[in-house]
Amino acid sequence: MTKPLLNVQDMQIWLDKVVAWGQTDSPDTQKDTSLHLKKLSSYLRELLTHINNTSSTSETMKTLPSIGQFLGRLCWNPYVTADGNRSLLFQCLWGLFSEHPTNAVERKANQWIRKVLCQLTTEEDVVAQALMKSMGIPPEEYHVKVLKKVLCSCDSVRATSEACVPLVACPEAAPLIDALLQRPVNCVRAPLSQEFLDAVSSAYSSQDLSLEEQSVLSLWYHSLPSLEKAVLNLLESVFTNSGSTPQKMEEQVAQSLLLKACAQHCSIFLVVNDIFRNFLKQVEANECVKSLIQTFTSCFLREVALMQPQVSLILRSFFPQSSQSLLVPLLTLPSDEFFTLHEALLLNIVISLLFCRRQHKVFEAWFLLVQCAHWIQVTVQLLGTSGCEDCGPLLWLLTFYHHPTNRGHNRVHVKEVWDHLRSLFSISAHPFPVDYLQSLVTMLSPQPQQPSASPLLILSLLVNFAVFSQQSLSGSTRILQTVRKHQPIL
Amino acid sequence: MEAVLKNLADTVELLAVAALCGVVEQWDTRTVSRAFHWARYCERLFNRFQDNAEVRKLMEKQIQLTNESLRAALPGYTEVSILDLSMCQQHLLVGLLSNPKLPSSIMKTLFDNNSSPAEVRCGVNPDVTGLCSFIIQCKSACQVLSPLTDSSAVGADAEVQADMLMERLGVLMSQRSGANRIEYFLDSVLQGCEGATEHFCLMIAAALLTRRNSAAESASQDVLLDWLQKRQNTLQHMCSALATALLMDLAKEHLKFRDSFCDVLKSWASDMEYNISEGEWVQRSTHPRVSFQKLTEHFHALFETCPCLRNEVGTELNALKISDGDFDVRGLSVWGDLLSALNR
Repeated sequence: MTKPLLNVQDMQIWLDKVVAWGQTDSPDTQKDTSLHLKKLSSYLRELLTHINNTSSTSETMKTLPSIGQFLGRLCWNPYVTADGNRSLLFQCLWGLFSEHPTNAVERKANQWIRKVLCQLTTEEDVVAQALMKSMGIPPEEYHVKVLKKVLCSCDSVRATSEACVPLVACPEAAPLIDALLQRPVNCVRAPLSQEFLDAVSSAYSSQDLSLEEQSVLSLWYHSLPSLEKAVLNLLESVFTNSGSTPQKMEEQVAQSLLLKACAQHCSIFLVVNDIFRNFLKQVEANECVKSLIQTFTSCFLREVALMQPQVSLILRSFFPQSSQSLLVPLLTLPSDEFFTLHEALLLNIVISLLFCRRQHKVFEAWFLLVQCAHWIQVTVQLLGTSGCEDCGPLLWLLTFYHHPTNRGHNRVHVKEVWDHLRSLFSISAHPFPVDYLQSLVTMLSPQPQQPSASPLLILSLLVNFAVFSQQSLSGSTRILQTVRKHQPIL
Repeated sequence: MEAVLKNLADTVELLAVAALCGVVEQWDTRTVSRAFHWARYCERLFNRFQDNAEVRKLMEKQIQLTNESLRAALPGYTEVSILDLSMCQQHLLVGLLSNPKLPSSIMKTLFDNNSSPAEVRCGVNPDVTGLCSFIIQCKSACQVLSPLTDSSAVGADAEVQADMLMERLGVLMSQRSGANRIEYFLDSVLQGCEGATEHFCLMIAAALLTRRNSAAESASQDVLLDWLQKRQNTLQHMCSALATALLMDLAKEHLKFRDSFCDVLKSWASDMEYNISEGEWVQRSTHPRVSFQKLTEHFHALFETCPCLRNEVGTELNALKISDGDFDVRGLSVWGDLLSALNR
């Protein structure tokens, strides 16, 4: 014997409410519906228990004759079907579905349930239907598109963002601010208000506001000043630790959210790169900036590869100013596996660089080389190997990296230095002739008025000769010790 | 090709079985997933070959054959056309949901709320769990949010439809399809929108107002304008149904539209006769019916938006007034009365 858990009056009260909601579509009705959703869900839960505890659908219909009308009206109320109540509503309908209908009432109920659900799912407006048919777009895809568009054109987004301006430093408002920032970034119709972005940006940089990672990325996307600030902060932190090792710099860069931002939004990468580019022009060939740019780019490439499996397809858009023939070899990462191919790739790079120079695109080409300076490391390594014969292109590449303008005819000097180092490191008889060592020391301490090769270039060649040439360990050690004795700053 | 046609025939049969046969009683979720898989396959076939006349003909012939045999075997069978293939999954879903023999367990799976919509959306999971629930949620959310959207705009649905239209036009243009194919496409959309002409006009307006990011997109809009000029009924409907502000946006954006709009206004005016008992100019034809006041408002708005038209059209109207006898008495010449209303 089942006892009625629910009284009929409650059902009538709810039914009256739902009928009233259905009659007008005024803001008051909408508000009233939203306010009652929670109570409705507890009522639906009670109803579900009641249905499940009743032996059959005919029995339920006897105790609650208006249940069909009630559930049916709820099905056509978007506030209910958009909400979590949808699930409870469907469960109630399934509760009324009889697997083995025994009478006309149950058969009719089954038919009705199928019909309501079918209509709810498949009813489309005529134009949408015609277009979906002509275009072959499935309804779920279409509706997601419309929903995104609706979300973008909500008038209140702008108003809400304006209202939030005084609240940015209020911790309770943080979830709302996060939600506003994380709306799809391609909404052009109802943008966030500039005042809001400025307020969030300054509260965030003065640490009055903590934001979720995704919100920070979004803030940078929407607000150029905040992005610039983030890049300058990174530059500053790298410069204040100028004594740090490449490993430390990499750690520092890898921790920066800027990498993720760049990988997610091409436009952010382009802005960051522009800042780097301008900075590099201002400080001219500052080694610290150069190595920051290199580190940043290689970390960025790793990040993109993690996010997008088909990196090569999309990378082109990140480097719109670079020529394709230069981009492909430079963005390839050197690997031990293909070591034998390195020389050919480098030759390719040199040819492309020379081409860019003829096209008067020297700076862009050089900037890309700075970004991908891992190839310069491969170059000096190859130059330090005694087996390297035709080294003209490699020397050209190394000189171009250190002296892009070749103002002081540096190429000639680099060749001299390299010839000198090569003969020094191939001497097998010890001790080394004194004048050989002496001229090396002189090369490393350039005269202010005289054109010469950069000491850093010479030093990198020296180190690579010491590691990769066939000179004995003791011989290499002696050369390095002599240099250190005379050039203690190195 | 033979294998493809065989698959096509099988899927058409599958659609019929899903909608009409008792055998679905024995289906389980995996069977349904597989059915959706085949439906998706057919959609791809359609997308791939719809513009390839030769293959399309073969596919049409195959569908025709399958239709015939199915009609003989299944009473109540409604034929499918090649266009239905583009919405094969939807066809399957409607068929399944309306088949009384579909097990309730499968219905429950389709309406399950607990699966992540993202999975359904991305199509990563061929599982159909929650598909219907997801569609209902999206539709409902749009309805809930629509009062909050910018009411002066064309509406999110019209904008999405416009994007779709432009995309398809772009594809057709990039394939260098002839004007015939493009017109055929637009006509078929127009035909499909019978009974919803007003919304169709909104969509066309949205398509003409989408921002042009490339020359190709400008070319698509141009083609759309040319088509509109040839479909005077639709153009007139557009001019009468759309809000003035929207019409002015279009006039500002497209010279061609501005001129067509001006021509439509003039043709409406020439179609008016003076109703003595009402003391008002009224249109003779009933479709679309535009009042004299509305006509004046449109002209006013147009002159305000494009000041250069004021003199040019003013001179033209004056010439028409003179040809009507150049009377300054109300009710004798529509042009005279229009001019005095405009100069007031």
